[in-house]
Amino acid sequence: MKNVNIVYPFTGIVGQEQMKKALILNVINPLLGGVLIRGEKGTAKSTAVRALADLLPIRSQVEGCAFGCDPREPGNMCCDCLSKYENHENFVETFGRMKVVDLPVSATEDRVVGTLDIEQAIKKGEKKFEPGILAQANRNILYVDEVNLLDDHIVDVLLDSAAMGVNTIEREGVSYFHPARFILVGTMNPEEGDLRPQLLDRFGMVVDVVGERNTERRIAVIKNRLAYEADKEEFAQQFINEQQNLRDRILKAKKLLKKVVYRDEMLEIAAKISIELDVDGHRADIAMIKTAMTLAAFNGSTKVSSADMLEAAELVLPHRLRRTPFEEGILNFDRVQQIISEVGSADYAAV
Amino acid sequence: MQPYNLPIGNAADLCLQPGNHQVKKEKRTQRGFYRFPFAAVIGQEKVKKALLLNLINPQIGGVLLAGEKGTAKSTLVRSLNQVANGMAVVELPLNATEDRVIGSIDIEKTISVGKRSFESGILKKADGNILYIDEVNLLSEHIVNSILEVAASGVNHIEREGIACEHASRFVLIGTMNPEEGFLRSQFLDRFGIYVEVGGSKNLAERKEVIKRRLAFESSPAAFVKKWETEATELRDQVIEAQRKLPLIKISESILKLTADIVNEANCAGNRAELVMIQTAKALAALDNRKNINIDDIKEAAEFALPHRKREKPDEPEPQEEQQEQEQQDSEAEEETEANPDENPPEEEPDDPDNNSEEESEKQEEDQPDTPEADPPDSDESDDDEAREPEPEFSEILDQIDEIGRSFIVRNLNIKAIDRKKRKGEGKRIKTKTDTKQGQYIKSAMSKNKITDLAFDATLRAAAPFQSVREKNGLALVIKSEDIREKVREKRTGSTIVFVVDASGSMGAKKRMETVKGAVVSLLTDAYQKRDRVGLISFRKNEAEVLLNITRSIDLAQKCLRDLPTGGKTPLAAGLIKGYEVIKNEQRKHEDLLPILVLVSDGRTNTAITDNDPFSEAKEIGKKISFEGIQTIVVDTEVDFIKLGLAKELASCMNARYYRIEDLEADVLADAVRDLSNHSLF
Repeated sequence: MKNVNIVYPFTGIVGQEQMKKALILNVINPLLGGVLIRGEKGTAKSTAVRALADLLPIRSQVEGCAFGCDPREPGNMCCDCLSKYENHENFVETFGRMKVVDLPVSATEDRVVGTLDIEQAIKKGEKKFEPGILAQANRNILYVDEVNLLDDHIVDVLLDSAAMGVNTIEREGVSYFHPARFILVGTMNPEEGDLRPQLLDRFGMVVDVVGERNTERRIAVIKNRLAYEADKEEFAQQFINEQQNLRDRILKAKKLLKKVVYRDEMLEIAAKISIELDVDGHRADIAMIKTAMTLAAFNGSTKVSSADMLEAAELVLPHRLRRTPFEEGILNFDRVQQIISEVGSADYAAV
Repeated sequence: MQPYNLPIGNAADLCLQPGNHQVKKEKRTQRGFYRFPFAAVIGQEKVKKALLLNLINPQIGGVLLAGEKGTAKSTLVRSLNQVANGMAVVELPLNATEDRVIGSIDIEKTISVGKRSFESGILKKADGNILYIDEVNLLSEHIVNSILEVAASGVNHIEREGIACEHASRFVLIGTMNPEEGFLRSQFLDRFGIYVEVGGSKNLAERKEVIKRRLAFESSPAAFVKKWETEATELRDQVIEAQRKLPLIKISESILKLTADIVNEANCAGNRAELVMIQTAKALAALDNRKNINIDDIKEAAEFALPHRKREKPDEPEPQEEQQEQEQQDSEAEEETEANPDENPPEEEPDDPDNNSEEESEKQEEDQPDTPEADPPDSDESDDDEAREPEPEFSEILDQIDEIGRSFIVRNLNIKAIDRKKRKGEGKRIKTKTDTKQGQYIKSAMSKNKITDLAFDATLRAAAPFQSVREKNGLALVIKSEDIREKVREKRTGSTIVFVVDASGSMGAKKRMETVKGAVVSLLTDAYQKRDRVGLISFRKNEAEVLLNITRSIDLAQKCLRDLPTGGKTPLAAGLIKGYEVIKNEQRKHEDLLPILVLVSDGRTNTAITDNDPFSEAKEIGKKISFEGIQTIVVDTEVDFIKLGLAKELASCMNARYYRIEDLEADVLADAVRDLSNHSLF
């Protein structure tokens, strides 16, 4: 079999627009807080995440650094790079593509957070830190398939790092910390159990996917899949232009994002929605604005529109509505729309 | 991934090192990761005040912040060093192992020098600083115990790996938690001087400002931090000034009396509440630049110090013995609550065999399952007849679906304590866990059996002192079999709980089902916090039905419950059999299952599987279930004026724990906390 390593092209995925958009938005703006994709089996969840790898931007990193530190960002450097930076040593810079790092459900805690390097200890009697998956995930995408099946204590560790952007290790004789800023992408099948609300809230957005119901589209899905399996290279070739276009669009949006401005009314919308829908904490408001800004950039605009806000609300709110662990939140979307049009239109009138 | 070796840095070195020099500290903070500035957090005034008070007067004994997610709890604590006068925030991550918490042998030094030398852990780092535990309710019970001991004495005694030493470890303990994930046991709760509940802001303008600042911080952290430096300095000066004032503050006799009265009124256990209140009031006065404590200080201090200590008037801890010992009850109950404040969920009990909470539950285990006080197992035929009497009229009623009634915090059902088989074989649970290699590595131990789960760090520490005398053959390190240590893991293994719920017509009367649903939801909430798996079976009309096979999805269980209709006859025996089958099936898949069957019923039955009397049949099946070693709990839903006590009778047949539905509600401190946050103390 040839070309086993060619992944299914992202743009070749039929339908599932919301999921695709959510993933792209996170690539454009890594501070959005990741995405959780919920849905039944066989809805291209994993395919989409793996396909994302091909679209990821190339960025500069410090050569030889286990955490892939950005040579221009001292605020998020590991101890080594930081001391080099402060001593004005020159970094050897390399360029690498952002990666999708897998966190298997069976991963043990020591492999996730890092541990004592056994080899060094035996050979040299020295205590060294051996980085784990969280180190690899720094500045990359951390992908957890079946995230709801992850062991509780691993989830706790993950939460900690995801929230802080730093992984603190105090175990097995090792005391260390390093940057761990990653885009958390999880997929799960809700039939197999839930995610704790605490973890749910840490995902910037949640997308629910369902299988394609439209017959024509279903046929397109099958056709594509068969074509891909028959000749992966040939299939990928078909999408080469589309892939490049999307890559360009992402890069453009990344640049544009710095220029995106929001009006005060947008803050009002976010805050009002959260208060009215009784959302826990402030994460939803912040996520809503950030997502809307990223959406604007993706659409090639520097101004956040009401439509962006509506789309953002759809992505960031549904999983944050629960009051207790089991009371199901039902998103009163009409009310969201109403608030957006009220506040938004008042603003248009003023302009 | 290639192992990449880095010199072991000290996590505290970079941004957390306590420095006596302000300028130096400022620089260090900037060197590390940017933290959202303390002064830039909007609202949360009470939280900020609680934190500042602890900086001013560390004798308050720390603070516990409890509240919903995303309310800047952690942000505030982590940035506390910006306003502290030289105190650092030392974090205890959830992944911590015992050796790093307490400190242990220094491998490198020991090997090179050939003499045991000590390498201090987090507790040393925390000395004179702030010890911060995020998600404190998720911390391993074993680590909690080590910290409790040190927090109480202020000294860390080390007796391990051939090292015996001690060092001072006085710290301000700060914890944050989301109560949705479970509560802290009261012993630990009491360790925190003061308690603050955190909530999001409901003010539109405030919320807008929160978003704005967060976005500004994220877009250029360095500039944002710089912008808030002046405010931070001002706050710090305020703290320093208050610290200076603190020793000058006088405590009058009347203030002491007022404090004692308030604490008395609140019915707090122990005397810590008074001390904390006085210390808090002192800090409040100092912060306000006064030399005297006034009544407002005491009132404010009470709001900080009492919520997590206030108790409801203690009520009966043992529902089983209630009827027989009505008179003694009050005095006894009080003793009980004093002696047994341990309200932690049973799953989180430490595996440490010499821990006394284990002994306690061991004791309970002996007392409870065979409670002889329970009703005699035989009952009159007439009872049964009476039981059936009201049934027919209800079976006419059409199916109805009741709402879910009020839910509450479930009392500690102490499920593990009757887990006889497992408890008897000492340490069996521990070994089972190590064998599976799952769970969190918390400490190490020597092992007699074949090692499968090597604790390399511990092995290394054990081997280190002997390196200078061992033959090395070119290696840096020689490990012998006596050095080998094994990992001890702790896993929050939940139980598997199968609810068998009576949904017959009689349950539909007088909103009874609403209450039952509320109670089951409460049990489900409890199960969620303990990571249990649940199944749901209902019995009505002529059969029992598996509404939900065993799952971790407690959401699903709740959904099923909501839609559960009532109506029809009561095939109790069929329900029990179904429950038994579901558990047996599951046991085939998971050997080390800890199954619990919870029967929610009033014990009345009118439909048998065979031709026998329905109730005797149910009792027969109940006996069989108990014989199979399945733990059972019977929740009696009987609310009628004349009690038939059928459920109780059934419970004694099944060797089950018996609770009346109204007894399920816990008398936990958490309740008091809730009350307090709703209406103020005064």
